[in-house]
Amino acid sequence: MEIDRRDFLKYSIWGLGCFIGASLFAPAATYFLSPVWKESDLDWVFLGKADTIPVDKPTKVDFVQRRKDGWMTVEERRSAWVVTKNGKEFTIFDPHCTHLGCPYRWDSAKNGFLCPCHAAVFDMNGNVISGPPPRPLDRYAVKVENGKLWVLPTLKRA
Amino acid sequence: MRTVLGWFQNRFGWPDIQQTLLDRKIPRPGKWAWAYTLGSATLAVFLLQIITGVLLGMNYSPSPDHAYESIRYIMTQVPMGAFIRGLHKWGASVMIVLIFLHLFRVYVMASYKAPRELTWIAGIFLLLGAFGLGFTGYLLPWDQKAYWATAVGANISSQAPFLGPAVATVLKGGAELGALTLTRFYAFHVLALPIFMVLFIGIHLFLVVYHGISAPPQARGEKAPDYKELKAKGKSFFPYSVFKDVVMVLLVFAVIFFLSAHFGADLEDPADPTDSSYNPRPEWYFLFLFQSLKLFPGSLEYLAAIVLPTLMLLFLIFIPFMDRGEKRHPFARPFWIGGGCVVAGFVVLLSYQGWKSPLVNPRIERNPLVLQGQRIYGELHCAHCHSIKGEGGNVGPDLSTAVAGRSDEWLDEHFRKPQQMIHGSAMPELNLLDEEIQALIAYLRDIGGGGISYAKAAKIFEENCQTCHRLRGRGGDMGPRLDGIGNFHNGDWLKQYIQNPQSMNKDSEMPGFESTLNPEDIETLARFLSSQKRENP
Repeated sequence: MEIDRRDFLKYSIWGLGCFIGASLFAPAATYFLSPVWKESDLDWVFLGKADTIPVDKPTKVDFVQRRKDGWMTVEERRSAWVVTKNGKEFTIFDPHCTHLGCPYRWDSAKNGFLCPCHAAVFDMNGNVISGPPPRPLDRYAVKVENGKLWVLPTLKRA
Repeated sequence: MRTVLGWFQNRFGWPDIQQTLLDRKIPRPGKWAWAYTLGSATLAVFLLQIITGVLLGMNYSPSPDHAYESIRYIMTQVPMGAFIRGLHKWGASVMIVLIFLHLFRVYVMASYKAPRELTWIAGIFLLLGAFGLGFTGYLLPWDQKAYWATAVGANISSQAPFLGPAVATVLKGGAELGALTLTRFYAFHVLALPIFMVLFIGIHLFLVVYHGISAPPQARGEKAPDYKELKAKGKSFFPYSVFKDVVMVLLVFAVIFFLSAHFGADLEDPADPTDSSYNPRPEWYFLFLFQSLKLFPGSLEYLAAIVLPTLMLLFLIFIPFMDRGEKRHPFARPFWIGGGCVVAGFVVLLSYQGWKSPLVNPRIERNPLVLQGQRIYGELHCAHCHSIKGEGGNVGPDLSTAVAGRSDEWLDEHFRKPQQMIHGSAMPELNLLDEEIQALIAYLRDIGGGGISYAKAAKIFEENCQTCHRLRGRGGDMGPRLDGIGNFHNGDWLKQYIQNPQSMNKDSEMPGFESTLNPEDIETLARFLSSQKRENP
């Protein structure tokens, strides 16, 4: 194939142009898309002493979480439902219904978590008894150290 | 596919665009060909500034409380953030260089002559816009350089007669440099000036295409050839000129990429309006103005600050109407070339003097972690209970001495669970993040809980202790060996022991050093000894 000078220059322009564009695009895209692969940097939060949680009675615990928000550190008031059946093993639920995120509450008369928005009911293990939620209650990671209860308030799907 | 493309081309009038823009003939530039690429290279760098600027804007917050931290976030946390900021910073400098080279090319060739006067004037406004972008841009990080260079810049304008002080107030958005200045400069830097630039680039380019790019000057004494004839004999803009433009852009970008990767963009300490040791220095392209102030002392300073620059600007704007006629070769215009060289030489000389002037700030590298720790210390109101060098509350211990004998691991644990480390401690659990704990430890170490001079400590040890004690294989055996003493005793205990051994152990035969050594030396010695640790005690 024979190309004349004019065509050669044309192809060179496209080639060099693409090269310049790509070398700028690579860092720009890395910068712009970086939130996608940024790891969550939440930390374990101290909830309270483990023996203050009554057995077989879901308890709502409020806590303050310090977390990084970009270049700032913010404090947020949050809460979680803590359930224990033996005072040794604990389950902590995210306090939002898995249907549309309404806050639910414990109804001891009905022995279940009730969501007021669409009348969903969950049992003490977080399983859906009735209503529209697509999955059981979401849980947080939990650990007990020296009788102290710690929570890692990142969502973990049940 | 072709028909779809064809449809769009037809609807947008592509054939006409192609004919006027791409296929237009360019007079043969001869040996000057590469000088004709400076304008398009400047344009390319301007586009680079827009792209990197938009990216930086995604993580920047224009308020004195957040500006510095958000830039530091870009520099340390955002992937490629430091590189993107480097591109923006060096791109700005390279753009100014290219504008000056472009201006120089046009001036030497007298391309500003009829009918291209307005092209030139639009270009001068673009130069002003670029200066404005530079001046407003380097305030935004709100570091020392940003703050002080802007303070000086604003004060220069306040020296202008009559309206000067008012102009300075308007520039600052108030009487003082502060939050309102930052938002004002931000609005100019990212909104007003870029729009201004785009508008004038549009005018500039339209005029270049409409009048055609000027041909290289005819030889001295020759009559100017007919431009239309020259143009007809030339080659088309695309691909012949565009190819050279693209190669030039590639070179320029390579330089900017190198500068950014190699030197990066620095971030000094946060702006501190109370600092009296800082020597403000402007960006290099303002150095000639900065330096010229020194030539006009006292009440005449406004001559250098306002009058001279204004005269230079007016001179540039009105050149096309003063240097008239057909002569374009530089040697055929000795007056204008001579005058231009004198002015340019003066600017270069002043810039050089400014560059060389000894008022350079020593680069004191401060650990960014320490700065962060200092900030957290303030945010958490630690000073309600603790004092540092006498400043603060007295509920908790004085932190400038208390942490000396504690290891980093101990402090780390203590921040997490104070009561576990010191029974009955009134210090609350703060739920601090790992990173915050690291920063606080770094800060405490910086204010006096560490950083002893080992050379000095070793000398004190040699002069006072080595006769009886063995350390690292050297010394007498009258007293116990001190290797690993730090595993058993902290700095406070050791300090008391050195001062008065019998108060800690009444059987001790060691003499007290309270009267022989001054308190500072005892402190140093105690810290030195508390750091004598063995890996496996």
